[in-house]
Parts: sequence; structure tokens; C-alpha cells
Amino acid sequence: MSQKKFTFEKHDGYYVIKFDGALDFNNCKLFEEEIDGNSNYANSHIIVDCESFITLHQDWIRLFLKLKSATKLTGKMFKFIHVHKELQASFKRLGVDQSFKIAKDLKEVLDEVGITVKRTINTEFINPFLLATVHVLKIQAAVEATAGQIYMKKGSENLNGDVSGIIGIVSETFNGSVVISFPEKTFLRILSKMMGQELTKLDKSNVAGAGEITNMIFGNAKVVLNQNGYGIRQAIPRTKQGKENDVGSDAKAPAIVVPFETQLGEFFVEIYLAA
Amino acid sequence: MFDPKTKVLIVDDMLTMRKIILKILEELGFNDVDEAEDGNEAWEMVKKGNYGLIVSDWNMPNCTGLEFLKLVRADEKFAKTPFLLVTAEAERGKVFEAIKCGVDNYVVKPFSKDALKEKLESTYKKVETRLSA
Repeated sequence: MSQKKFTFEKHDGYYVIKFDGALDFNNCKLFEEEIDGNSNYANSHIIVDCESFITLHQDWIRLFLKLKSATKLTGKMFKFIHVHKELQASFKRLGVDQSFKIAKDLKEVLDEVGITVKRTINTEFINPFLLATVHVLKIQAAVEATAGQIYMKKGSENLNGDVSGIIGIVSETFNGSVVISFPEKTFLRILSKMMGQELTKLDKSNVAGAGEITNMIFGNAKVVLNQNGYGIRQAIPRTKQGKENDVGSDAKAPAIVVPFETQLGEFFVEIYLAA
Repeated sequence: MFDPKTKVLIVDDMLTMRKIILKILEELGFNDVDEAEDGNEAWEMVKKGNYGLIVSDWNMPNCTGLEFLKLVRADEKFAKTPFLLVTAEAERGKVFEAIKCGVDNYVVKPFSKDALKEKLESTYKKVETRLSA
């Protein structure tokens, strides 16, 4: 018997349909049984997440059209998001590009239908960053890091460290920044271990290492967060030397600080939500 | 495994990561290794050089690793060059996109020396037949 390779993620007023890899022809029957067996779908906005596929068989076209018709009857939205260029071309080739409306991302659809999703910083959001921090330090620098007591600080207060990697969070539900901030000595010791050479002084090239550490932590956390529906977009980190807080407009919003202890010294993960 | 005499190109906008990969490659015996800061610079180097292996970051300004991969695969002269993408995120959609563009393998940051060595070995097994053809 075929295994379901799709999920209907239920949210308040809408569903997001996600697929596990390419659209499996064998899953068509299961999908049709799912949509026929649940009248709630027709009464909700439906968003199809196309991130994992670039083509679709005629049978899937028929099923999506069926679901779209059902939502149309109740005045609900039916849209595709994260549509690759190849898939868009497929829509056109198969003559459904006028029927299958596309939005850039979930936020665009929710804005259109007037649904506001307020996300808050909670353990579900913070934990992936903490776990990623421990993982990255352990694998890339062979350093064991332990998180200490979390505390809040004013967003405008100075950064805790002398060298920081800063990466912006842009998502479908909120914006902000993540900062990995190191006192100078800790940073040089950790970077020395990563690079296998002793670094004794900060300079432009090794300060950039803070950006790389931040990039790895963010990348690993992002995978987990997006599996939980946060919709966080890709970003490129920057580095900062000095404690002055210039984390964009995020500096006005409160920040959560997680201090970490290692055998090489302490450092800090600071998470800012945009005001 | 790749012959240690293989000419390798490391592409990453972060100096730290280039040095980390360089150090691991040197420990594995590779001694002919060049570096580039982004896909554009790397592409110019590929056109002039004779690289037997490319190890490229994904997320770079100017020209991403994926865009660079597409350039390499689109040119008959270099299309068969073994290409390993290094990425800080392993989201399914991205991996799928890279495979579709012809990447031979990918490694997720952070990675240990053993992890990179394993990826190089599996990449070599995959491309061996293609290279000898």
C-alpha cells in the first residue's frame, strides 16, 4: 500500500498542503480520498507549497482543479506558493496558468486574505538556535558549549561581545535578527581551533569568521524552524567588531540573550524581534 | 578517492571556511588547491585552469554556488567536472534543486574532516565512470 507523501497543515482559517519530494503518481488516489473525506478543506483557504517539485502529472492537475473548485464555491482562496520557474512553465504548457494562481510566499497569501499570524519568541523558536549553536561548535571547533540562564535585555543596549556575527530573520510571520556575540579572547580561541592555527589578534579576515559561525548556526536552525512552518528565508550574515548595537531597527525591540559557557570562555546568542 | 594530484578549486565568500576546507584537503594529501571568493571569480578561473574537482559554497553574493554550477554544467568543456556543493542548510527543496542542476554531491556545514573525506570518497565513486569515459 502506498504511503502518504503529503500533509495538510491545519492553521486558523487555512491549510497549507506540503509534499514530501516530487508529486508521486501513486499518491493521487490517497490525495483524492483525503480531499473527498474532509469537507473542512472546501471551507478554508488552501495554499499548496510547491517547494519540493518542478513538474506534475495530469492527474494532479485534475485533483488541484477539483479542490480549487470546492474552495471557489465557498469564496475561499486557492493558491500555489514557492513555485519554481520550471513548474510555472509546466502550468502554462498544460493550459492551467490562468486557473492556478501563484503567490510568492505564505505571507503574501495571508496578507491578501487578511489573516495576521502573530508569532512570539518562545521555546519552539529559540531551541533550534540553541541546539544549532551547540552542534556547530562541537563539530566545527570541537568545543563543548552549554547554554546558561536566558534573560531579556533592552534592544538598544550594547552587544555583549567584542566580535559579532549578525544575520537578519525575514519570514512569513515576523522579522528580526540573530546575533552570535563573542568576547575577543573567546573568539580567537574558538577560531584558532576551527582553523587549526593559533590566532592572537583580531583582524579583518578573522573577524569574518564570526559571520561564518553565525551562518552555520542560522542555517541549521532554519531547517528545523521551517519544518515547523516558520517560513524563514535565506540570508547572508555580516560581522561587527565592537559592542555598539547597530542591529538595524531591531535594536529598538527587546532582545533575548542566551549566554553560553565553553572551556574556551563564554559567548552569547542574542535574538531580536523587529519592533 | 580522488588522486591527491587533482587540481581543486575551493569557492566560498568566507575566508574562514576556505581555510578550513583547504586545511582538510591538505591533510588528505591534496596540494594543488586554488581559492575563489564567489561564483563569478570561480568561473573565470575554471575557464583558464584545468580543475579536477570543485568544492563550492552555495550562499554567496554576486554569483551563488548554484548559479556557478549551472555555468560549469552548461559548458561542454567543463561539464563533467566533479562538483561538490557546501551548504549551511539542507532543506529538501534546495537539495532537490541542486541535484536537478547536476551537482555530484553536497555537504552540510558544520562538517568534520572525516565527514568531508567521506563525501569526497562517495563523490569519486559516483563520478569515476563518467571521468574515465
